[in-house]
Amino acid sequence: MTTQQNQLNALENRVTWRRRFSIFSVAAMAVGLLVVGSLVLTVGSVHIAFRQVWAILVSHLPLVNLEVNWSSTTDMIVTGIRLPRIILAGMAGAALGVAGATYQGLFRNPLADPYLIGVAQGAALGAVTGFLLPWTFLGGYLIPVLAFLGALVSVSAVYLIARVGKAIPVTTLILAGVAIGSFLISLTSYITIISADKMPGILSWLMGKFSMANWEQVGLIAPFLVVGLAVIFIFARPLNVMQLDEEQAEQLGINVERTKLILMAASTLITAAAVCFVGTIGFVGIIIPHAVRLIWGPDHRTLLPLAALSGAILLILADTASRTLFPPTEIPVGVITAFLGAPFFLFLLRRKKKAVF
Amino acid sequence: MATSLESPSTRIEGDFLFLFGNDLARMDLMRRFYFLGSIILALLIAASGCKSPVPQGNITDDLGRTVQIKGIPQRIVSLSPSNTEIVYALGLEDRLIGVTTYCNYPPEAQKKLQVSGYSTVDVEKVVSLQPDLILADSIHKTEVIPALEKLGIPVIGIVAPSLDQLLADIELVGKISGKQNAASVLVASLKQRITAVKEKTAGASKPRVFFVTWHDPLWTVGRGSMIDDLIVRAGGSNMASDLKANQTIDLETAIQRNPEVIVVLSSMGDQAVSYNFLKNEPRFQATDALKNNRVYQVDSDIFGRTTPRTIDALEELAKLIHPELYK
Repeated sequence: MTTQQNQLNALENRVTWRRRFSIFSVAAMAVGLLVVGSLVLTVGSVHIAFRQVWAILVSHLPLVNLEVNWSSTTDMIVTGIRLPRIILAGMAGAALGVAGATYQGLFRNPLADPYLIGVAQGAALGAVTGFLLPWTFLGGYLIPVLAFLGALVSVSAVYLIARVGKAIPVTTLILAGVAIGSFLISLTSYITIISADKMPGILSWLMGKFSMANWEQVGLIAPFLVVGLAVIFIFARPLNVMQLDEEQAEQLGINVERTKLILMAASTLITAAAVCFVGTIGFVGIIIPHAVRLIWGPDHRTLLPLAALSGAILLILADTASRTLFPPTEIPVGVITAFLGAPFFLFLLRRKKKAVF
Repeated sequence: MATSLESPSTRIEGDFLFLFGNDLARMDLMRRFYFLGSIILALLIAASGCKSPVPQGNITDDLGRTVQIKGIPQRIVSLSPSNTEIVYALGLEDRLIGVTTYCNYPPEAQKKLQVSGYSTVDVEKVVSLQPDLILADSIHKTEVIPALEKLGIPVIGIVAPSLDQLLADIELVGKISGKQNAASVLVASLKQRITAVKEKTAGASKPRVFFVTWHDPLWTVGRGSMIDDLIVRAGGSNMASDLKANQTIDLETAIQRNPEVIVVLSSMGDQAVSYNFLKNEPRFQATDALKNNRVYQVDSDIFGRTTPRTIDALEELAKLIHPELYK
């Protein structure tokens, strides 16, 4: 009896310890995100002293009256250029990390990424069309709006094609995604090649950039992100159950098809929101979930929030590199994510050497 | 923008239209004109046959390639709008048998057979035209030029990152096509206009100029580019002269450097996307250029090419940078 009791106690201890560790990790990463975010605020192609950046930030807090000994341009660089840019990068990173983790879990496929079922390809076609259309009624929002719509239309097309009755067989979905994706890429490439003097702008968009991030963009994509992430986090437990096969998940009381549809819609929404202003940034969506899984294990209840936080940190760091490595020019952020992300991921893979799934 | 530089060809065409007026009395005059013309032509052919040096031999193009030219080219294909404009300016349009879909100046160029897009060249079509000279661009360096060269067609790559190089190129094309005189006359008049701008802006202040070719991310032009040369010669200082030719520039640096004049390239000829963006971007409002309402758009067809019209661009730029000198 005592041995059984002990074993049970040990197991319980392990579970609670794991749970505590997860909660601690999420908290630590959240603090890490704040630290990274505020540190990179002090670097940029224009040199502003560390203390001054902080003084500027503090001076914007309510009820604080600081003596202003900096120019309005300096203030604007910190609060009008760097801060929204860092926040937008963090939001995009969180969205891509979570969407990647969701798709990998949903399709039980380690190769899945947020762009698997046509989001990026649809967004890209929408964006390049926006580059070429002479319309002016949407002002500067023509490209993001078309990118966002392109993503939604493309994923809907993939979904409708792959649907068999009420079910969406995963293999059919992925194949339809790949086929439609290739079709859209061919159109995008064609438009790019005929775009003449707009080609630099188009290529920058396709490789991702935060160069013109501003508070309006942050405000416009925030609602999509908050709602999408909340929905996905709520479905963390069903996602865990769905790691068994779909039939078993059904027997355990999960409405598999409905869960799939809701998670796909939420992931599509956050990915489309993330890419519409900043372009199709690669690698974050596939590397972050795997890295998190390798370090913290596959439980979606911790995987999803940690993917959001580490995705945000990675993209903030990548964007900082993009704007500070060769000042005053910028390197497309997608180049950095691939350059940093791929070796880091290989390092993790070699160190763990065990099956990820 | 007034095109003050008419190519000699357009002027001659204008005279023909005048002669073809319905005044019948002019018919006689015309016949005489033709008679005289044919004699001059015969003399010219005889002269070129015996004493003018047939430009045979090797020349080095702007890509550093050595090209052998045999005889005077009679069938010319242009693979860039800049080259097409140079060909017309030298009065070689009758020998021009192929152009690109972007060759829109002079307007007559659009009626020529199109054999190429921006970077995609229909090599088969080009070869079928049996050209004896192809005027290419730097974008054709890696694929198109070797392919055409292999087929035995002389290809000259023309890339002009400065006004001096442009003038040298005009003379080069003139020389190999037997139009030395037209080329020297043209180059002399262009040089005169360049000097006029130099004299006008000498001694004036040198405002910081920010030249924007795209707005998101901000693309600008640094040293080693035609635009940089034009800004300096027009009496400005290029805000991005520490960068190389075509580069992105960080928004915070662009604002910190506080441009006094912002010149934005239009897109695809006349679209004002980047101009509208910069005019309305709140974060640029703090710069001197926006405060003093000195944001201008220029035509990408003129500023994006290197042709005799580049001197128009220089004059326009000087007027934008120094309006006080051109009152």
